[in-house]
Amino acid sequence: MSETVIGGSRAAAPARSSSSRGAWLRTSLALVVCIGLVGVAYLLHDAAGYGAKASFSLLIGAALGVTFARGRFCFFCILRDWIEKRDSTGMFAILAALAVGGIGYAVVFGAFLPNAFSGRLPPDAHIGPVSWVLLVAGLAFGVGMSLSGACISGHLYRLGEGYSRAPFALVGAAVGFGLGFFTWQSVYLGAIRSAPVAWLPATFGYGGALALHLAVLVIFGIILLRYLPSSKNLSTNLTPHESHTTGSLTPLRARRGDGGEVNLGNSTSDTDESERLTLASLASTVFRQRWNPLVTGAIVGLLGMVAYLRVEPLGVTSQLGSLSRTALDNAGLLADRLNGLDTFAGCATQVVQTITENGWLIGGLVLGSFAVSLLANRFQISALTFKSALTALGGGVLMGWGSMLALGCTVGTLLSGISAFALSGWVFAAAVIIGVWASLRLKLHS
Amino acid sequence: MVRIKWLVTLLALLVLVLGAASISAQDTAPEVLVTADWLEENLDNPNVRIIEVSVNPGVYERGHIPGAVNFVWHTDFVDPVQRDIVSGERFQELLRAAGINDDTTVVLYGDTNNWFAAWGIWIFNIYGLTDARLLDGGRVKWEADGRALATDAATFEAGNVTIGEANADLRALKDEVLSVVLGETAGQLVDIRGAAEYNGEIFAPEGVQELAVRAGHIPGAVNVPWGQNVREDGTFKPVEELRALYAGVGIDGSQPIITYCRIGERAALTWFVLHKLLGYEVALYDGSWTEWGNSVGVPVNNPAGTVWGGQ
Repeated sequence: MSETVIGGSRAAAPARSSSSRGAWLRTSLALVVCIGLVGVAYLLHDAAGYGAKASFSLLIGAALGVTFARGRFCFFCILRDWIEKRDSTGMFAILAALAVGGIGYAVVFGAFLPNAFSGRLPPDAHIGPVSWVLLVAGLAFGVGMSLSGACISGHLYRLGEGYSRAPFALVGAAVGFGLGFFTWQSVYLGAIRSAPVAWLPATFGYGGALALHLAVLVIFGIILLRYLPSSKNLSTNLTPHESHTTGSLTPLRARRGDGGEVNLGNSTSDTDESERLTLASLASTVFRQRWNPLVTGAIVGLLGMVAYLRVEPLGVTSQLGSLSRTALDNAGLLADRLNGLDTFAGCATQVVQTITENGWLIGGLVLGSFAVSLLANRFQISALTFKSALTALGGGVLMGWGSMLALGCTVGTLLSGISAFALSGWVFAAAVIIGVWASLRLKLHS
Repeated sequence: MVRIKWLVTLLALLVLVLGAASISAQDTAPEVLVTADWLEENLDNPNVRIIEVSVNPGVYERGHIPGAVNFVWHTDFVDPVQRDIVSGERFQELLRAAGINDDTTVVLYGDTNNWFAAWGIWIFNIYGLTDARLLDGGRVKWEADGRALATDAATFEAGNVTIGEANADLRALKDEVLSVVLGETAGQLVDIRGAAEYNGEIFAPEGVQELAVRAGHIPGAVNVPWGQNVREDGTFKPVEELRALYAGVGIDGSQPIITYCRIGERAALTWFVLHKLLGYEVALYDGSWTEWGNSVGVPVNNPAGTVWGGQ
């Protein structure tokens, strides 16, 4: 693959003129997308029926798309690197997101609901019922991730990078959501209605819950330290989809040409002269190298807090599920009212005729990822076989089914749930990890 | 130069006089309604306590009028087990926790069109706290004006307010409504729901769960949808215009009035208009259509003839 870096200093020497024209095209297209995003956000602000929240959601979505893509914040890839390749680097992005998210939520909760012991729950935070249904849903979600090659948010941002399995997985997820509604109806009274909606601050207070939250993350961090790769293995130059599917690309690419390396575990270049910032090194850091996992995670955590403060907790399945629900409703196949569903906070679905705030967020996510992957020269439509399309579809169905019953996916239930100190987030996370681990053992992903 | 100075002075005087005139115009307005300007000037007034009553969860938390406390309509103003308004004892507890004293002026506001804030005012009045005022235009107008919002939840030292016995005159129970319908008691009914609900074409507004098994309205009720009380920006129409609006359908205060809606809350806005702004004798039927449309044996007027469960 010839390598071209937008704004970078070292475009590959061969085919210089054609690649610089390609670079110009990509940059222009990326700019058009960025201007489009900002323009739509501006128009939405005053549009009847939408307003500031829709506008803000679009921008948060775009920021998430950029961060996910540049930091390769793909739950499946991260888990597979750790389980299969014994490389836990990406896991630190998740830990950082949960740590920053938890601190952020504690700050917001203190303003929203000063008394954690009042018996109320903070408004619309993703605190769900904990039952065996959540466990089964998490397992199914984990298997679905492995089968389809990414989780739902992973497919959304990788759609922006040209991942051709993503559309199949997303269609599958919409179908799975539909199936999930029927399952919900049959398990609600038996399992979910009486399940505890456990929120840690109600027991430990905000300070106690946050201390516990951070302590658990630190313990995981210490365990994961053992799986950090040595700097020798750093860096090869792979296409975007190779980097997602082989797992051999260590996230922190060595800075080609200047020798400096950044590594989570053992930084070797604190005093290196080449650490000096220049325009070229900045451009390279932002658009060429993969973002540092800790920075990526911190940005994701911060965006989660901002989204909760201003609109609603982060989630990526609500619009997708609402589409399924609306389609089933129009076809007269689904009951108007799903038992108890509307009494839980989570990635809520509803019968809608419009683009919800969550819809704008998802649109922003895909387009933000698309724009930045153009700039980073990582946009490439991946090869597709009949089998890979089919497994993506099947995995998508499992993910949709699981995220309906879990009231969210790896973003809505895991990230926003754990950040909100919900026990349901941790239970879902454990089930997803077990599901992915088992699938990898059974080689379902290959 | 001198002339310009003179002109400026004259202009300044004019502005002052006009300003004073507008202030005195406000003073003559009923004490039950406050403007956003007044409230903004009184944000730091320790004798003023602001309460937000919004329908949608998470609205207060993401930004409210600075210093406002949050009352949740479906748990704080009602008995969460039996269908009834909040008990006096619990209501007093809530008010004291919000730092309300006997001499505190309470201002309520909320989202949508102040529907549930007006319902809150009704509860305050039932318990004898008649100095509860409504912010004209509510939350929508406050936001549209670009006024400041805060996200920190205000906390106050416990207050000493003592509430009175519930005033039954402000509330109509089903039997009292029936007695009006049967002509045994003098009274007029105002149905504030949309025309399609009133006519019995639908059981509930679009997107809202059907909670009654009969369509139509209480016989004899006139239909004045709540939206006719307010201007485009959500503020109330001038008192004289409101008086004419209701006189046009025969509601002139010569007889006691009962307002109702679907679940009993929105009708509080019309109760507020007729009772607090126009000074009529008005009770709110909080059982409303979800009680009447489900009651066995009560007369119903269903012009559209819609049959529950289909023809």
